[in-house]
Amino acid sequence: MSEDTTLRMEGILKEFPGVVANDHVDLSVERGEIHGLLGENGAGKSTLMKILYGLYSQDDGEIYLDGERLDLGSPQDAIDAGIGMVHQHFMLIPRLTVAENVVLGEREPAPAFRSDAADSWLPAAVRNNSLVQSLAGQFSLGLDVPEQRIQDLADQYGFDIDVSAKIWELDVGQQQRVEILKALYRDVDLLILDEPTAVLTPTEAERLFDSLERLTDEGLSIIFITHKLTEVDAIVDRVTVLREGQNVGTAEVSSVSRADLAEMMVGREVLFDIDREAVDLGEPVLRAREVEATDNRNIEALSGIDLTVRQGEIVGIAGVSGNGQKELAEVMAGIRDVTAGELVVNGEDITGAKPKTFVDSGVSFVPEDRLQYGCAEDLSVMHNATMKDFRDGRFGDRPFLDYGELREYAETLVEEFDVRGVSDVTETKAGDLSGGNLQKLILAREIYRNPDLLIANQPTRGVDVGAIEFIRETLLEQRKAGTGIILLSEDLDEIFDLSDRILVVYEGEFVYETTPAEADRERIGLEMTGGGETAASPVKSGATQGSES
Amino acid sequence: MNVAVTVDAREDSPAWLAYGTPVFTVLAALAVSAIALVVLDVNPVAAYRTMFVETLVTEFGLSETLTKAIPLILTGLAVYLPLKAGLFNIGAEGQLVAGALAGTWIGLNVSLPGLALVPLMFVAAAVAGGIWAGIPAYLRAKWDVNEIITSLLLTFVALEIQSYLLRGPMQGGAGNFPQSDRFSEAATIPELFGGVHAGLLAALCMVIATYVLMTKTRLGFEITFVGSNDEAAQQAGMSKFYVYLLVFVVGGAFAAMGGISEIAGAQGRYRAGFEPGYGFTAIPIALLGRNSAFKVMLAGLFFAVLFVGGSSMEVAFGVPAALVEIIQALVILFLITAEFFKSYRVGIDLKRGPAETPAHPQRGDD
Repeated sequence: MSEDTTLRMEGILKEFPGVVANDHVDLSVERGEIHGLLGENGAGKSTLMKILYGLYSQDDGEIYLDGERLDLGSPQDAIDAGIGMVHQHFMLIPRLTVAENVVLGEREPAPAFRSDAADSWLPAAVRNNSLVQSLAGQFSLGLDVPEQRIQDLADQYGFDIDVSAKIWELDVGQQQRVEILKALYRDVDLLILDEPTAVLTPTEAERLFDSLERLTDEGLSIIFITHKLTEVDAIVDRVTVLREGQNVGTAEVSSVSRADLAEMMVGREVLFDIDREAVDLGEPVLRAREVEATDNRNIEALSGIDLTVRQGEIVGIAGVSGNGQKELAEVMAGIRDVTAGELVVNGEDITGAKPKTFVDSGVSFVPEDRLQYGCAEDLSVMHNATMKDFRDGRFGDRPFLDYGELREYAETLVEEFDVRGVSDVTETKAGDLSGGNLQKLILAREIYRNPDLLIANQPTRGVDVGAIEFIRETLLEQRKAGTGIILLSEDLDEIFDLSDRILVVYEGEFVYETTPAEADRERIGLEMTGGGETAASPVKSGATQGSES
Repeated sequence: MNVAVTVDAREDSPAWLAYGTPVFTVLAALAVSAIALVVLDVNPVAAYRTMFVETLVTEFGLSETLTKAIPLILTGLAVYLPLKAGLFNIGAEGQLVAGALAGTWIGLNVSLPGLALVPLMFVAAAVAGGIWAGIPAYLRAKWDVNEIITSLLLTFVALEIQSYLLRGPMQGGAGNFPQSDRFSEAATIPELFGGVHAGLLAALCMVIATYVLMTKTRLGFEITFVGSNDEAAQQAGMSKFYVYLLVFVVGGAFAAMGGISEIAGAQGRYRAGFEPGYGFTAIPIALLGRNSAFKVMLAGLFFAVLFVGGSSMEVAFGVPAALVEIIQALVILFLITAEFFKSYRVGIDLKRGPAETPAHPQRGDD
């Protein structure tokens, strides 16, 4: 093995009840490289890294860092050994400052308990007692901070952060740099980043990549967990691909193609092109007229939306995030009140009705935020799989509920939609599923009831290649079955691949309408950013729709 | 010598711990209380013998325990059900008082045969308790007003109304005491067996009803879902408004039944200060029993033992009543602390001199 190898994981085995998460995985990382760890959701990337960070202990296999065998009982051991990790969900306390968050994990006891404190009210004999010290270390907390040292460290790596600012004042990209700073402050040599770009905008991601390159120039090694092939191309030096808990190979990124990596990840060829069969459009399932609504702060978010969706039609809605897409989806799903206008579903005016009426009228909804509206993460897969259909007569006579039937139904969904990581539908919690599998579960629930109208908001965000393909194909199948679909996505390719009709939303209004065949990407990009105002006046989609079909 | 205390999160709790912790913690609480007993020159072993063994083996002790358990179980359910929907009903005490007052009024002013009068008193109590609980529930469901504060404060309103009624319109009996007239034979809950009144049946029925509601019905599914993620529940077409109102109103009715059964079954008349805060004791009962209605019942029985055993110890050894309350409070504190040990592992490392690093067999770097 080469001189430069800093980390070696050999034959790591980790089993959970019913699932082998890591099946004798080997991984080696060289000094100063960015090593990509690529795999589908549920392939075992996170488990492997949690073992490396001391959060899980492996059932078998060994870890060597710089030739020394590590025995990691806790993250503290990992940090002491020089391994740091930045989690996908930040572990920061919003009310504390950047500097306080950085030192928080040091668990410095309160000043009065420090053995070197000059003006403590406690006698030195008490302070120096080892039992008092260990209790104080556990149950008291000192947050007086070497701000200057932390600021210097931030400046050294070109992090544009004011260390005396409170966390809640920072944007997401800055918060992420604080997480990295936390690791750097502890002198780590190896930094693990768990899907760091999942929460970032493209510009923020660019900045992150710059920072990472600076870190590797300073001699740090980085493990970069991702399931986005574009990111692998952009910054990764070497990549290891995991599939179903096994290492399927390590490669220099420069020597493999994207398609090869995708195939390694998924285990078969991935169709980047999707065939869309022609489907005859049927009756309108949704007719929205002059719909207006406000956002959570009571500011107008939709200002007069006209939208007609027919059976077997996918209407793609493109736009820059924050132009009313979230509100549009929620209004159509019946969970946000309209302030004006009317909504007609299957010929029935249900404006202002309760969410239950929408559900009963055959409206299904795949929300943007899976954990907020999509599922109850503390409840079982069974509860979540049946959260809409439990009222159905087949699950027992009112008011009683047949839990055996619910269980069978949930098992059917898990099987047919290939939701992985479920050992027992009544035991596994929705929150324990990986992002892609949770999304498949939600999609399964919404589609298996054969809806007339499906609203899918960012259905493939944060989901791996294999699941994206599956979700897109499912949407197309459902289109063939006669469901009218509203697809909101920030991924223009997705809109182009799936839609029959494309609408561009800007500041709560549709400003442009086209079809994938006629569309001009540049024009759409211009319209999305409000630059098309001069070129065309706002389009009333309901009016033009008739002439098209 | 170096001593270090470590606290680690457990990956999963072993089964023995789930069943063992309540036992260990009760023993630990009693050990701490023993210090106070020794200071008062009371033999702790004999005192605890009186408190637990005599309570559980004598007929008197058992019937007292079961009688006390009735309001404790019912108020426990009154906190448990809202807890399942993610709400905290801190005002079971007020609902109990409101129900007891309404039931007492019916019992004193309506003349009907016992078979009709007692159920009518229960219904009146349940309605009053339901309304009393309905106020915070409505405020929470409609305007998101914190139900912890409103339900707690309404307790004091109920207690003041009780004071007024017992010193004014409802005052009765000899002397000028804040109490009502004695109930007639018809308004008294009949005895079931050995000094235990039939309110026990009501409590058992409510435990079973709550169990069935939570595990076998669509409504229970909705309550569980709203309690876990109310936004997702609403998206699925469930009504948070309805669920919030329902769990509180039904909970209030439970607490009210506890109140009227204590008055019409055990006391015989409404006396101000007739009960030692069942509605507040209900909170730890519901927290301990939060996994199932049957566990609420067990927790209610356990607290009844503490109450009854405490007073017999008070009588037998002349220990101050305050000490009995201290023992009860310690048991509650220890039980709640024990929840911490179920999810965390605490270790103490003892090391002599400089820590030795165990030499791992190093594998050669090839």
